[in-house]
Amino acid sequence: MIKDLHDKLINQEITATQLVEDYFKVIKEKDSQIQAFLTLTKTQALEEAKKVDEKISRGGKIGILEGIPYAVKDNILVKGVKTTAGSKILENYVASYDATVIKKLKNEGTILLGKTNQDEFAMGSSTENSGFFITKNPWDLTRVPGGSSGGSAAAVSAQMCAFSLGSDTGGSIRQPAAFCGIVGLKPSYGAVSRYGLISMASSLDVIGSLTQTVEDAEIVFQAITGQDKMDSTSCEVKQIQATRYKIQDTRFGLPQEYFVKGLDEEIRDKIEAVIQKLQNQKIQIVEKSLPSTPYALPCYYIIMPAEVSSNLARYDGIRYSSITNYPACAKPACRQGRALAGRQSPITNLRDLYFKTRGYGFGQEVRRRIILGTYVLSKGYYDAYYKKAQKVRRLIIEEFNKIFENVNFLITPTTPTPAFKIGERSADPLSMYLSDIFTVAANIGGLPAINLPIGFTKNNLPIGLQIIGPYGSDYSLLQIAKTIENIVKVSL
Amino acid sequence: MDFTEINHLLELARLELSNEEKEKIAHDLAKILDYVNQLQEVKTDNLEPMAGGTFSKNILRDDEINPQKLNLEKEGYFEVPPIF
Repeated sequence: MIKDLHDKLINQEITATQLVEDYFKVIKEKDSQIQAFLTLTKTQALEEAKKVDEKISRGGKIGILEGIPYAVKDNILVKGVKTTAGSKILENYVASYDATVIKKLKNEGTILLGKTNQDEFAMGSSTENSGFFITKNPWDLTRVPGGSSGGSAAAVSAQMCAFSLGSDTGGSIRQPAAFCGIVGLKPSYGAVSRYGLISMASSLDVIGSLTQTVEDAEIVFQAITGQDKMDSTSCEVKQIQATRYKIQDTRFGLPQEYFVKGLDEEIRDKIEAVIQKLQNQKIQIVEKSLPSTPYALPCYYIIMPAEVSSNLARYDGIRYSSITNYPACAKPACRQGRALAGRQSPITNLRDLYFKTRGYGFGQEVRRRIILGTYVLSKGYYDAYYKKAQKVRRLIIEEFNKIFENVNFLITPTTPTPAFKIGERSADPLSMYLSDIFTVAANIGGLPAINLPIGFTKNNLPIGLQIIGPYGSDYSLLQIAKTIENIVKVSL
Repeated sequence: MDFTEINHLLELARLELSNEEKEKIAHDLAKILDYVNQLQEVKTDNLEPMAGGTFSKNILRDDEINPQKLNLEKEGYFEVPPIF
């Protein structure tokens, strides 16, 4: 898909300007219903496109991503562009620098169309927790696109951009990709710099791509991966090996704990059909066991909120930006004070400003996770919750390491159900959390994983299959995913 | 979880909530804690806690001041309401 656009650009079948205009036409047509975008950057996009066109008409050689229009999740900083992370507390924040991934894509000449909607600070699995509006699933507008990168997934799925970037802390790229019928890649932890990604849970967060095809995911991954001195957890390039497996020599494991009660029957059938097709091609698939799997989600719901409560301490109403629409006043602090004073009691000191800004600026799910995180880290509970979870984390990682001595990759469903109805799970946080049950383990262990669309339910809702690889196997994972994508496509 | 405990957590987290929401949060937290308490059944006696998802160490850079990033409101200071 990216290659096709690239070919059209170099063969001058289309100009970059026309390409950008075309995408904005689709956005105009569709986005009033889908609501994937929070901010559009049309003026800059057309300026960038013009530069690419001039280069092409001068006979200049362009790179594979040059002139390709994309969208980015709103928790990734783009200099001079509003970056809210879907939160009211950042509704007026304009980023003062580019995230490393944005810098890299700018260097490639890629063209940004806009910023996409998400669950507030990436906390959610449906994009219903956005502080602004709810994004709809392009396949069924009464259903959620998944989350938290729901805007990025819907934008690619509805062809409002060629590809998009998202972030994945517990499944936030793969789950919406599965719900929207596209490819979602969560790279190994540290393979892509987090510099300029608004932190949610720093030991789990990773930036990745949402694309139409696996080949596109590979092109984008190549562009954004690499060690970065601005991110102390970004890994050395050699840790992301480029070893290639031949599909015939590859052994796949099916962890039985992922095929349990609660898995939608249509999803189970479709995955089994894919497995059958792979076996018909003499590809080795063995049943395996990962006994700690049921503990991955509870482990995640201790470690993640703990990190959330620390990371979100920085939103104090003073740094970044203040909450608005307040009556004018010369001093910023006074401005904030007056505005919030209209709601409740007046702000007379700094402490009040903190309490009121945070109480008002954060949405319900964010407040819930901050309080949960504060609880598991507080005196008397730290050992029982946080430390225990970090020990279980080791157990889960050791289990993965062991299984990868025997198989090269794991195949699982990406989600237990297809896209659910808007409002269906928003009242019960635990039922929402369970939508990530098959995706969190890869984040716990820092492993690369990908969602592949493999078909549809009777109601025409997309179904996704997940492949998980050992740490650093990103390129091999993409290679294998490409092969499986072809096998699935041929027989669709 | 009772109101005293919720109030203590809100104090630590610097969050203001209405009483109505405190009740809802207490109810939600009880359910979530009940769910995460499954971890207590896992044997972890000889396991060292992790500090992240990988065994890699942080790679640190020199701490250098970038004057371009200093963009404070007034004479190099932030302006805030009185502390007391």
